[in-house]
Amino acid sequence: MAKKDKGDEDFRPTGTIAVLAIFVITLIAIWATIYMILVGRGGTL
Amino acid sequence: MSTQQMHIDPYERNWMIFSGILLVLFAVAVSVAAFGMGIQVPAPEQRVDPRTVATDPSSPWSNPGLREVSPGKYDAYVLAHAVPNWEFLPKELSVPVGSSVSFYVTSSDVQHGFKIQDTNVNFMVIPGQVSKLTVTFDKPGTYNYICTEYCGSGHGVMYGSITVTP
Repeated sequence: MAKKDKGDEDFRPTGTIAVLAIFVITLIAIWATIYMILVGRGGTL
Repeated sequence: MSTQQMHIDPYERNWMIFSGILLVLFAVAVSVAAFGMGIQVPAPEQRVDPRTVATDPSSPWSNPGLREVSPGKYDAYVLAHAVPNWEFLPKELSVPVGSSVSFYVTSSDVQHGFKIQDTNVNFMVIPGQVSKLTVTFDKPGTYNYICTEYCGSGHGVMYGSITVTP
């Protein structure tokens, strides 16, 4: 096993977090928009 | 035998927890829509013989159209066919606003689709099978229904409309 760099524990992947946050917020927004459109159209029973 | 404790990076653990919460939230939202609000996918309503469904006098699809079953409630029997020309029968329907219409749709030849725009009615039309969904038209206007399954060279002209009168 390779020797662990002490700096690894302190590393904060800010760019990755930002990209994932944008991805997740976009996903939720698109999903919720379509969901509200379908719910607004009413039932089919 | 020694026990080993699994090391999970905090970011990885938080991401997995968040993904799990999202999946649960989506599942709850879909369940509420399906069972609380009655937004359903169609189940096969009945079986018919596609060779005689359009010609047998006892078949409602030999005379497709609207039937008023009670005040404000209608059954719409719609036949989709590609032969001799791609069309839905009837091509036009008219109901007063507030009407609840149950669509019974089948095909006498190949597979088609049936989608009423601006509603949640959208299903496959399979020969030998009747698809059914019910929708209430709360707003006046014209609602087009279109074929959503490629069914041949005339697929693009296979449409009809429902006029909801005030």
